[in-house]
Amino acid sequence: MAPAETSTEVSAGAGRPPRIRWARARETSANQLFLVPVALVFVVLLVVPLTQTFYWSFTDFTGYSAEVKFVGLSNYGKVLTDPSMLAGLGFTLAFTIGSAVLITVVAIPLAVVLNKKFFARNFVRSVFFFPAIPSIAILGLVWGYILSPLGSGVLNSVLESLFHAGPYPWLSDATLARVSVIVVAVWGGAGWHAMLYLAYLQSIPSDYYEVATIDGASARQQFFHITLPLLTPAIVISNFLLMTGGLKVYDLPYTLTKGGPGFATYTITQSIITSGVAQGRYGLASALAVLFTIAVGIVAVAQLWVSRRIERRVL
Amino acid sequence: MRKRRTLAALAAVALAVPLVACGGTPGSGGDSKKLTFFSWDGEETMKPLIAKFEQDNPGTKVEFSNAPPVAEYISTLQSRILSGTAADVFVIAAENKTNLINGKHVVDLKDKPFLKNVPKFNQATYSGPDGAVYGMSVASWGAGILYNKDLLAKAGATTIPQTWDEFLALCKKLKDAGVTPYLESVQGMSTPLSAFLGAESRASGDTMDTKIFDGSAKFKDYWVEPLTQWSRLWTEGLVTRNVVGLTGDQVRTEFVTGKAAMMIAGPWDVPGVRKAAPKLNIEMAPIPGISGGKPYLAGAASPGYAINAKAKNPEAAEKFLTFLDTPEAMAIYQKATGAITVTTDFQPTLDPALTPIVKDVRAGNVYLPQIAWKRAEDILNVEATAQLQLLVQGKATPEQVANALDTKLASTS
Repeated sequence: MAPAETSTEVSAGAGRPPRIRWARARETSANQLFLVPVALVFVVLLVVPLTQTFYWSFTDFTGYSAEVKFVGLSNYGKVLTDPSMLAGLGFTLAFTIGSAVLITVVAIPLAVVLNKKFFARNFVRSVFFFPAIPSIAILGLVWGYILSPLGSGVLNSVLESLFHAGPYPWLSDATLARVSVIVVAVWGGAGWHAMLYLAYLQSIPSDYYEVATIDGASARQQFFHITLPLLTPAIVISNFLLMTGGLKVYDLPYTLTKGGPGFATYTITQSIITSGVAQGRYGLASALAVLFTIAVGIVAVAQLWVSRRIERRVL
Repeated sequence: MRKRRTLAALAAVALAVPLVACGGTPGSGGDSKKLTFFSWDGEETMKPLIAKFEQDNPGTKVEFSNAPPVAEYISTLQSRILSGTAADVFVIAAENKTNLINGKHVVDLKDKPFLKNVPKFNQATYSGPDGAVYGMSVASWGAGILYNKDLLAKAGATTIPQTWDEFLALCKKLKDAGVTPYLESVQGMSTPLSAFLGAESRASGDTMDTKIFDGSAKFKDYWVEPLTQWSRLWTEGLVTRNVVGLTGDQVRTEFVTGKAAMMIAGPWDVPGVRKAAPKLNIEMAPIPGISGGKPYLAGAASPGYAINAKAKNPEAAEKFLTFLDTPEAMAIYQKATGAITVTTDFQPTLDPALTPIVKDVRAGNVYLPQIAWKRAEDILNVEATAQLQLLVQGKATPEQVANALDTKLASTS
């Protein structure tokens, strides 16, 4: 159907008088003009800084003077041999994978529930979406009080009064601190991603479920054989956002733990910011940033490739 | 249709305009009657001082801008210096002094008359290797222990400890009485450890850091004993190891609600404590000394005011620093900031709880490792903080902490 329409359009266009063609070309160029501001933003805020970062990674730039010395690959050598530069790698990966998996596992069932009709549904949807509104830094400060490792911390007080348990070192034990940061990230992100899934759920025709019900399929079977496969595009988008966002994470661990205890919740982005801004080692930080950008790019492309294959097989 | 497209085009242009506006040059004016001033104190704090300066210097207008400390201020100043739009006068701090001095971005103030009331200690903090002075620091700070004297009295303690052994004994006494004895946040350099090292450095004629950084000594030669003494708080079970996850605000909350008897504090904590708990009977004192050493304070000279080497209006900049040196200006500054000012011709009026530390702070009897270190200050500080947290958790020994610092220092040379 579509190719026939296209060919009709092309042949009709070819037969049009020059005035009409000129008007159409003018309209097309006018439409393209609207892309200029976005392109400008893209170039100024992304292409220029990325190019500068790449250039600085080969210099001893301190951030204070444009007069820099070319140092070749020495910054890259330091990044790969200095353990403190890569101290955040382990937790960054754990955070990215942990939060992406948990948010997906929580958000899909949540979206299914929120898609059903029940009293005050819109209010409940708003409540789950709310954590996505305040800045992560504010959430981090609030959760800092909730997860305070002292007996007077909110969570420890509740556990003490209900179960006479604790206090637990939520943010002062390395393992618990890592888990706490991931759990807070899941709490903050599940609602937003549930809304994404909800939008896709609403586009699934109800006929499929009606037919499945008539055929005797249980709710579980309907979920795994209709809902989940048809949500694949949403899972791809959601996980793409979660993976790229997770790899760049900085604000939440920093406000909760400042990267501690020790380097337990230190992230690559914190390492880049600390080395660059605080320590005036922009050249070194830029080298780490370049390597990290390439790594994120590879992960993103690989993820898209795998997702597309799964999508094609399922749909 | 055309109308809608015109509207859309206007919206697109409106999107682009702020970007162009971002390219403005704050503080780049060359007006001889305009002084540009970039601070990390807020406008509310600096407003009275600026108003008085403008009143005393008719025709000179101060263009004020600020960014909050520390990272945001430093990165903003960096950008402005790099683009040639830095203010005539700006704040030089421990965190950026090396880069500012090495990059020759600040003017030598050594022989300027307005430094005559600034103590040598404060001048030395912002001096370069050539003996030049690059910042006018008019205040200092000292951190020690803030005591809730009522809680101490309940446990039968009537005097403030003078030695670390006495302090640990007091902690035990309070703990036995069911009171949380002491809390400190370990999300930065430890205050007691800094004080121990300060006393040791002073006893060695202030040569400790010079020796460590010229390679004739190592961190492990000086740091192991202070680290061992500090870690007794945890190895003797007197304080919870969970302090690793606490922020300074959380520690203060525990103190003002009467749940902890002692906490680490600086002069900036006292107004907050007074406001939250006006009836609390508090007193601040230096950190008790170890192994016969005297009580000492962690602390440093406050950030100074520097003149931009490429100032558009250097005369007005000098006038501003000359004005800052007057008792009148100091009175306004002190009232607005609550700082312990150090200029010799002005005596600050401070909270009585600070009385035990004021004399030492004004005399420069304070020490902070990351200020005293000769290079790689922040690199070492990040490593030290992480290592101290491991020490508190019992996952590193004092020797391992000191060795980690030696390794880190070696990697930066």
